[in-house]
Amino acid sequence: MKIVLTLLLIVAAISGAPLFVVISAVALLWFYFMGVDLSIVVIEMYRLAANPLLIALLFFAFAGYILAESGAGKRLVKLSTAVFGCVRGGLAVVALLSCAFFTALTGASGITIVALGGLLLPALLEERYPEDFSLGLLTSSGSLGLLFPPSLPMIIYGVVAGVSIPQLFLAGLIPGILLIVLLSMYSMYKGVRGECRVISFDFQEFIGTFRETIWELLLPVVVFGGIYSGFLAVSEAAVVTVVYVLLVALLINRDVKLKQMPTIVVKTVVMVGSIIIILGAALAFNSLLIDQQVPSKILLWIQGQVESKFAFLLILNIFLLLVGCLLDVYSALVIVAPLIVPLAQGYDINLLHLGIIFLTNLQIGYSTPPIGMNLFIASLRFEKSVLRLGAASLPFLGILLVALLIITFVPGLSLLLVR
Amino acid sequence: MSASSPSNLKKISRFLGNIEQWVLVLLLGFLTAFAVTQIVLRNFLSAGLVWGDDLLRHGVLWISLLGATRATLERKHIRIDLLPRILPARLGLIADSLCCFISLFVCVLLTWASWNFVQGERLGGDIAFASIPYWWLVLIFPISFGLMAFRFCLNCISRLVRRPEGVER
Repeated sequence: MKIVLTLLLIVAAISGAPLFVVISAVALLWFYFMGVDLSIVVIEMYRLAANPLLIALLFFAFAGYILAESGAGKRLVKLSTAVFGCVRGGLAVVALLSCAFFTALTGASGITIVALGGLLLPALLEERYPEDFSLGLLTSSGSLGLLFPPSLPMIIYGVVAGVSIPQLFLAGLIPGILLIVLLSMYSMYKGVRGECRVISFDFQEFIGTFRETIWELLLPVVVFGGIYSGFLAVSEAAVVTVVYVLLVALLINRDVKLKQMPTIVVKTVVMVGSIIIILGAALAFNSLLIDQQVPSKILLWIQGQVESKFAFLLILNIFLLLVGCLLDVYSALVIVAPLIVPLAQGYDINLLHLGIIFLTNLQIGYSTPPIGMNLFIASLRFEKSVLRLGAASLPFLGILLVALLIITFVPGLSLLLVR
Repeated sequence: MSASSPSNLKKISRFLGNIEQWVLVLLLGFLTAFAVTQIVLRNFLSAGLVWGDDLLRHGVLWISLLGATRATLERKHIRIDLLPRILPARLGLIADSLCCFISLFVCVLLTWASWNFVQGERLGGDIAFASIPYWWLVLIFPISFGLMAFRFCLNCISRLVRRPEGVER
């Protein structure tokens, strides 16, 4: 009976049953066979209401969707073109930077490719960047801002691992910059070798675009000034971000209309709801795992197999890359992180560092087949086959893997700013 | 019997969807305004409602569960749809229907479990904050799971009575 049900659930899980249904089903079944009253599952889910970070998640997501509807993306591309367009290979760097900034601002919810891809692809092609290079660049940069605040996956990791969000934000800065620098170096090299065209620097244009973008550029200053001066808690900073973005979009730039708000609200709530319901189901599932002492059993077993921290980190990366291929970033965090955190503690790995390793892996997983979200979004946006985009992203994935190794084995990169 | 025919169910579903959209807009608007007021009170006037944070956290719980319900309508739940991509269309359809029925079954179970939870809280009679009893706050669980079950049920029905033109009458 148990085996049949388990098989049925596995089939359902990979045939597209909502993940929260699958996880809840496992928890319900398990409790049922243990003879526990099933309302325990809902009681565990109710622990969601005890976590103030979910307030931050909701409001940062809301601000992100408002920004995505506004002309912020277009303005960012214009500004960075005015600054870097005059360097050979500069336009590729423009693409990287604006994707990273936009992903960070919109909380890495996968809308970067949709919002910026359509602007950047024609621009890159016009400056004679090879098509495959341009497609690969845009596909793999769709998640580039994942390590920059206020990325939503970072907040979720903070919730699951119980680490301080302001510290986690700091830990992500240098590794995030490393990713951008490495990708930029490769892109400049391609741009110079391909003799791509450059745009001449126009000071008037620069000042003009700078003025247009000033409100978006000030946003990180306002929000993170608030957090690191101790004036605002993270959840309050998220609320301030919403108010700021609303004021700018509705009153100053006037590029979002009030009548668009219901659609924006529904989009936000659907995204946040579909993440949090998985988190809720995972709370019930994890309490089971802990009750059955699964994490400590795995730890004992692995410690018997793997001696050194070095080997553990290597295995962890391979495992997380596989997870990143199969699961999207939120479900991966919610399901896998609670198991990995005690293991990492057993090997004396700093949890902030672990978070950065985790997120870098999952970011790579965004662009890998078969479930790479970036591939599907880019395939819809650019009307190219997933296979071709996968192949075009390979060089960029290679660079990201190198960066991943550096980030993993040089913990100082993640921990320098925190200490 | 006509009340349960698919087209009537669809009308109910559309009606619910419209109400739901306005509930979501009002709720998120209220939460934003409330949170701003709290920040202003706390930082500039060193005041603020003691239970304000509790209310916000429950507000987020409500809006998330309603969002998950909405995600059921828009088919935007996070899922791994590996098999339907690689299987031939007919088998894919079977796998899809299997998912639909399992989802319906699990949501019915969750509705039942959360109803028991609500009953337990009601008997306990504890007050959460500002004379609001806990059982009001957790009432959102049976409501959302019930609605999700209803929507998965509609999906199942539309699979059973699939017409060549698609789902629209």
